[in-house]
Amino acid sequence: MTMSGMKAERKHSLRMASARRKKTFWLTTMMLPGAVWLLLIRYLPMFGITIAFKNYRAFRPNTFWNNIVKSEFVGLKNFEFLKSPDTAVMIRNTLGYNIVWILLGLVISVTFAVMMSEVSNRFMAKTYQTMMFFPYFLSWVVASYFVLAFLDPTSGMINAMQKASGAKVTNFYHDTTWWPLILTICNLWKNVGYSSVLYLAAITGIDTTQYEAAAVDGATKWQQIWCVTLPNIRTMIIILLIMNVGKIFNADFGLFYNVPQNSGSLYPVTQVVDTYVYRAYANTHNLGMSSAAGFLQSAVGLVCIVGANAIVRKIDPESSLF
Amino acid sequence: MTAIAKGRRKHPTLNRFGPGAQAVFHGVLGLFSLLCIIPFVFVIIISFTSEESIRAIGYSFRPLSWSLQAYAYTFQLGDQLWRSYLNSFLITIVGTALSVGICVLYAYPLFRRDYRLRGFFNFLSFFTMIFGGGLVPTFVICKSVLGLSDNYAALIVPMLFSPFNVIIMRTFFQTTVPTELIEAATIDGSGEYGTLTRIVLPIVTPGIATIALLNALGYWNEWFLSLLYINKNMNIIPLQYLLMRMQRNADFLAKNSSMLGADASRAAMELPSQTLKMALVVFIVVPIACAYPFFQRYVVAGLTVGSVKG
Amino acid sequence: MKRIVSLFLTLAMLLGLCAAAQADDLPTITIMFHGSNVSDDSAVLEKVNEYIADKVGAKLEVIWGTWGDFDEKVVNTLVSGDSDVDMVFTCSWSADEYNSYAKNGYFVKLDDLIAEYGADLKAAIPESLMQAATIEGAEGMGIYAVNGFKDTATQNTWDVNVTLLNELGYTLDDVKNLGFYGFGEIFAKAKEVKGDSFYPFLVEPMVAERMVTNSIIIAGDAGSTNLLSLYLNPEDVSAEGAYGNQILNKFATPEYKAFVEKMHEYYEAGYINPALAVAETSNDTRTNAQKTADYLIGTQSYAYGYEFSADVLARGVEVAFVPCTDAYVDTTASQGAMMAISSASEHVEESFKFLALLNSDPYLMTLLNYGVEGIHYTLNDDGLVVFNADARATYSPWTNGMGNVTILPDTESEGKGFREAFKAYYAGAKAIPALGYVFDNSAVANEMAALGNVAAQYALALDCGATDPETELPKFLEALDAAGMQTYLDAANAQLAAYLGK
Repeated sequence: MTMSGMKAERKHSLRMASARRKKTFWLTTMMLPGAVWLLLIRYLPMFGITIAFKNYRAFRPNTFWNNIVKSEFVGLKNFEFLKSPDTAVMIRNTLGYNIVWILLGLVISVTFAVMMSEVSNRFMAKTYQTMMFFPYFLSWVVASYFVLAFLDPTSGMINAMQKASGAKVTNFYHDTTWWPLILTICNLWKNVGYSSVLYLAAITGIDTTQYEAAAVDGATKWQQIWCVTLPNIRTMIIILLIMNVGKIFNADFGLFYNVPQNSGSLYPVTQVVDTYVYRAYANTHNLGMSSAAGFLQSAVGLVCIVGANAIVRKIDPESSLF
Repeated sequence: MTAIAKGRRKHPTLNRFGPGAQAVFHGVLGLFSLLCIIPFVFVIIISFTSEESIRAIGYSFRPLSWSLQAYAYTFQLGDQLWRSYLNSFLITIVGTALSVGICVLYAYPLFRRDYRLRGFFNFLSFFTMIFGGGLVPTFVICKSVLGLSDNYAALIVPMLFSPFNVIIMRTFFQTTVPTELIEAATIDGSGEYGTLTRIVLPIVTPGIATIALLNALGYWNEWFLSLLYINKNMNIIPLQYLLMRMQRNADFLAKNSSMLGADASRAAMELPSQTLKMALVVFIVVPIACAYPFFQRYVVAGLTVGSVKG
Repeated sequence: MKRIVSLFLTLAMLLGLCAAAQADDLPTITIMFHGSNVSDDSAVLEKVNEYIADKVGAKLEVIWGTWGDFDEKVVNTLVSGDSDVDMVFTCSWSADEYNSYAKNGYFVKLDDLIAEYGADLKAAIPESLMQAATIEGAEGMGIYAVNGFKDTATQNTWDVNVTLLNELGYTLDDVKNLGFYGFGEIFAKAKEVKGDSFYPFLVEPMVAERMVTNSIIIAGDAGSTNLLSLYLNPEDVSAEGAYGNQILNKFATPEYKAFVEKMHEYYEAGYINPALAVAETSNDTRTNAQKTADYLIGTQSYAYGYEFSADVLARGVEVAFVPCTDAYVDTTASQGAMMAISSASEHVEESFKFLALLNSDPYLMTLLNYGVEGIHYTLNDDGLVVFNADARATYSPWTNGMGNVTILPDTESEGKGFREAFKAYYAGAKAIPALGYVFDNSAVANEMAALGNVAAQYALALDCGATDPETELPKFLEALDAAGMQTYLDAANAQLAAYLGK
């Protein structure tokens, strides 16, 4: 290689390096607003995690920072609420419902999204999509009135029907039998529309030439869904799945608290980590305990999400979260 | 390519499910859609039900008698109602615009495989989805460090960014934007911001519309921030909080009636009725439901955009 | 970092309403009231600030708490050490805020301030209330809040729809003589006359339990569902009850068993609305039925003057309250409404001066409570307060939550001499032997959390009769034992013995 050739090479690589630096710089400026927000509103308050391990109280001068520093370190004492005999029930409920709902929700939402994308009447497809989003507008408090209209022991529609037909009246709010089913229906009712829209948006982003190519190759419509649609929204499915798995130890509070009207008799099937901690906090106002519970949920979530992501990365590195 | 796309439009039956499958789709989707809309119809019915009917037979699809009383009463709320309504719109519009901007800007570099700090920023955002400082520490920082108290900023800033939405947006970039497109743009000498706004954004409109919808819903339904940060300036609270406050007052009074003395029973008597609450729910749901098709148009618009790229 | 903060602050300023800074030398003190319905306080605060400028040396700002949000707000304010709020409402019945907050250092000990500036206050408030507020706090034994003078005794009553009772051919004496265990025959008659969808027995189940078994709430016990109980002597409330000064697991007593068995009988016979047995529907259902007088006998925790209160008058029937015992002074009632000074406050002295003035100065109390004369109310020829409904709709604070209500003028609906009668009624109330005892649950907080959840699972349904005590009560007691009831009970009794022995 000649000298001038090497010079040109160096010049070129220098230009490349400067272009890379420029690119990195400009792309980083894009991150800034979000990063600043994260630092201020999410990371700065994280010193509060220490409350989970402290007996938090006020000192003089009474400022939050001073109180945290001076409060006595109590190790894992705040986590001892887990010794309660109810712990097994609430963990079983939280994990059990979440696992079933993640799987059911996934299958149904994807099915609905595919159906909506394939309905040839565009107007009807839009109408379905709009209507399915409605439950997302209503809070659980409002939804609980609706459930009550069916199950109310005195004026509920189901009980009225039972009375009219002479059958034995079911006292729904004291009978645990039906609640796993009722809660499942409520959960799907509220969330399926929302996640179908996410999947539908992913499907609409698929390059239609892929379908044309498949059609030219003689693929039936069913085969096209299997070979084109699903692989294309695979990333979205996996990402949502991983994120749901990360929240496996958290429960939708309103669903478990408002919808069963906070009925004590139903605790065996409605008590979840969030409701337990809420009720415990209402009784004790122990900030340390609720911080501990939050910390625990986060820790479990982190383990699950990292685990799920590791599995995904082995199988399909393209779709992994990080 | 364009010819094929056009051809498809001319022969819509060419690549479609047959009538049998279509009927099944309509059946399943139609039924579920009905299930989704009925509770809202129910809320509307309750809002028009007379109090006597509720006392006699509870909530029902077929009340004994109808009444406009709840709506008459909402209009008596007067200034407060309309001001809260206006606040809801203001907060939602400003909040959605800002948060979508921040989200897209944050998600785009994360999607770029050639961005060196990708891993770091990805983790920075993701980690906060799992771990947080908790309610009180966040409150302290927001109030005393950032001055988020009794102002509109307090109702907007704490929700400006969502790691969940960033991941969704990033996934949209990944699934719809081909890397070659960006490389081609770079070779053409387009700057990073230029590439993003002129080339990438038009392709990901469905994703942006979806994120905007999620953000708008989030802002529209938010009430807890008002509880936390608004103490004196009740002129800026949104409608959702007005409703929640009524609900929570009613709950508290009923639960503690034995502790509050004769005076509080007067307050209990002045509480709004169930029908009024439902009327407010109608007020809250209708605008966002009306805005939905607007977002939807962009989601569906993605269909044609998608066919042009490749 | 600074730049970042200022960036956000600029944003906040752009979006926010910038309150015009007022040039004024006086410091501002902020008070957080509970449960008000105030949308316009400008006229009142103008007058208040005029009045207190010299006397207190500060300007007042008010945060009008609402019923439902107050607890949450007060926790945030105190726990975060927020110096923007100087004074907060506190009490012992809502999650035991007063005792636990004082113990954890959130309130300022007031004894020195009372000695220095509190002469008028001490004259205005009975000594017994000062004693009731004296507790073991972060800075030792002392007073950590100004105790409001209101209905300071507890009295549970049967709330009787007399109009209907007479229709059925019974009198108030029958209600008194038959008692809870004999109500069955009246209910049967009511059901017969009014039809199957009428529910004569309108109970607040937890209150009914206390009325029938004569049990007393222990301050510091689990907030939502009480687990512990002392027992009252129904003949003489100041004497020891059947179990002496011994705290019991209230669900394990024979009295409780008899009560829930009877309730189950009433429930099965259709005398009780099933909606009362479910936590979230219970209260709404009861309030609605009371409003429309759709009941025969209910439960009511009574305060003097309740008969004349607007909501009773609005029922449109004759209502009477039949007490089960004399009114008794217990810790819960005597710490019913107080005002504490936050230890994060930067204006402790001014705040105390204000509280002392509020509780002893009729002008200031009336101004803050009833509003401005001529705007919110006028005085009639008898000197009674007549409210101006329109202005009152924008300004109606919670009277009992503010402080000394006995220095207010009588209102037209209460009639002349009401305050005097009110004071006399509560001056005559006797104290229970264990008055002042507060259970410090901090050592057994985890047990309490678990026990509270167990009790919430079983107690309401049992108290209301919805579940069969034959099968459910043994399960309930077993679950309580498993959750550490004995430890909890022992801790409470050891503390009580120490308290009484002292």
